[in-house]
Amino acid sequence: MYEINASKELKHIMKNYFSDLKNNSKPVAWCTSVGPAELLRSFGFEVYFPENHGALLGATRKAMDTIPLASKIGYPSDICSYLTADIGSHIQKSTPLLKHYGLESPPRPDLIVYNTNQCREVQDWFSYFGNQFNCPVSGIVPPRHLDVVKQADIDNVSSQFKALIPECERISKNKFDIDKFRHSLRLSKEATFLWKKVLETSKNSPAPISFFDATIHMGPIVVLRGTETALDYYKILLSELEKNVVSKTGFLKKESSRIYWEGMPIWGRLRFLSELFAQHNSAVVASTYCNSWIFDDFDERNPFESSALAYTTIFINRSEKAKLITLKNLIKDFRIDGVIFHEAKTCFNNSNSRFGMPGKLKDETGVETLIIEGDLCDLRFFSEEQSTIKIETLLEQISSS
Amino acid sequence: MHFLGVDIGSLYTKLLIIDYDFKVLYSDIFKTLARNNKRDDILSKLIKEYIIDYSCSTGYGRKLMKSADIVKTELYCASAGVTQLAPFEKTIIDIGGEDIKLLKSAANAKVIDFYMNSKCAAGTGAFITEVAERAELDVADMSRLAANSKSIKELNSFCTVFAKTEIMKWIFDDTSDEDLAKGIYISIANRIQKIPADNSLPVFLIGGVAHYHPYLKDILEEKFNIKVTIPENPQLINAFGAACIARNSFVNK
Ligand code: SF4
Repeated sequence: MYEINASKELKHIMKNYFSDLKNNSKPVAWCTSVGPAELLRSFGFEVYFPENHGALLGATRKAMDTIPLASKIGYPSDICSYLTADIGSHIQKSTPLLKHYGLESPPRPDLIVYNTNQCREVQDWFSYFGNQFNCPVSGIVPPRHLDVVKQADIDNVSSQFKALIPECERISKNKFDIDKFRHSLRLSKEATFLWKKVLETSKNSPAPISFFDATIHMGPIVVLRGTETALDYYKILLSELEKNVVSKTGFLKKESSRIYWEGMPIWGRLRFLSELFAQHNSAVVASTYCNSWIFDDFDERNPFESSALAYTTIFINRSEKAKLITLKNLIKDFRIDGVIFHEAKTCFNNSNSRFGMPGKLKDETGVETLIIEGDLCDLRFFSEEQSTIKIETLLEQISSS
Repeated sequence: MHFLGVDIGSLYTKLLIIDYDFKVLYSDIFKTLARNNKRDDILSKLIKEYIIDYSCSTGYGRKLMKSADIVKTELYCASAGVTQLAPFEKTIIDIGGEDIKLLKSAANAKVIDFYMNSKCAAGTGAFITEVAERAELDVADMSRLAANSKSIKELNSFCTVFAKTEIMKWIFDDTSDEDLAKGIYISIANRIQKIPADNSLPVFLIGGVAHYHPYLKDILEEKFNIKVTIPENPQLINAFGAACIARNSFVNK
């Protein structure tokens, strides 16, 4: 059976990350997954990411118990299920972090920072915890859904980054040091560069890393970017995958089709889906989701402007037109035969099937497209049987063309 | 040469055997329920009796038939079955017990596009049965009743349970059985009409619901403004398609 050996190292790193959060005396900042992590690190904050907790609640299916608790206090189950699962877990005072990493609860925040470049939901989610912990909440609110990111947008966002400094200094009790910011940005850039190369190994056939595996191996790029640890990890992972490319060892022995996954993972059904595709020798080789942590634009020479550009230019913050161009390029580069659009019922921000995109993509590229309904955490929105028939029909369409 | 198609649906299992010339030699329908299942016995008897060269299974339980040479989804079998009878581009609407499938099928049987309801039973066989039961209508008599109605009233609710509440209100308002039956059919046609489909193509209506509720064809013709065909034995089309796929795969092997 195909296994990625670096997984052992990954487990170790993630365990250390969480035990550092538990045992350290440093101030803790909560941050959105595509928020200003590098700036926070430059002040010496340990950075914790509530979305990572949301994904863990989804993957362990614990979310199914905690979502209803959030509904009871006015956060209905049709809004972001990361938010509802996470708030429910706080109400229930129970977390899978205990079993997996020995933490009885997420670390108490000293500062909470969001960036609405992904959605407005994070603002309300984080504000709930601001109230609960009596903790200051700050945010970056960039212009959204852009065709192109203009200089005025960069100036706007970079001044919002700068406006965070006094609060960060007050809470961390450290003066802002631009060299430290440059340093964490450089580490982040190098790590995201390696992460990109990791994902690009699957341009090869047989591909050495699937979308499903990548959702696990992306842990460090989300929670540890801006540190040496993330950088070192991706060196190890990349070198293993590159060897597999040379030896033509892939996660499938034979690839009958190559699939692109658009949208969020269905955390509680990763294994089911991965096995379903494997049964049909179909390789899910690329995704919008895993690509979200590639930040080509970071540049330590202009740390504020380049952070503003990198975090505003992300896929989720772009117009339908810009998204279509990105998808078309990825389809070409990864030699994709079919695109699955996961319509996550509680996250329209990360679901791109609702404004005619699947049809447009099929017309313009000739690849088959399919929408499956589901969710990141709330499995009541996902029907295994119906999704299986749809996916198998898509694969039949591909094989008969 | 003999080819077997097996469609293991959520309510009924359908079996069908064809020869090299696509002539149907045998067909059977029985309940799918897993308890006291006679499927495996019937299958082994048939395979012996007819000397089956190749077989294909389909339907919700398609992976249950261990001896099948190939397994295909219902959508591909529907397309293969209807294309054998109508070798041109068309829309196929398959209304089953628990889902609706709508597909655009090419002249060579390729599925060009498809749509399935994913999460609820609105507009399916189960919907008709539930709502008709609440309205105390005999399901077998509904098409005859609806044909005698001039009403254009429809159920608005998407949800089967709410549709049942809605129909109670109609009963309190002394709505006739004819109008109740027609209202149920109109609401199904409306749901189908909202599915993105190419309305310029000829439409084929298949599945168990088409068999028991032929009036749906009239309603759909009115709504789509196009000719709708219900093939003979519409509930057997997917099994027939499976047999055709078995035959074609065997011949082209
Ligand atoms: S992008 Fe979607 S899943 Fe992520 S926080 Fe926002 S609403 Fe939730």
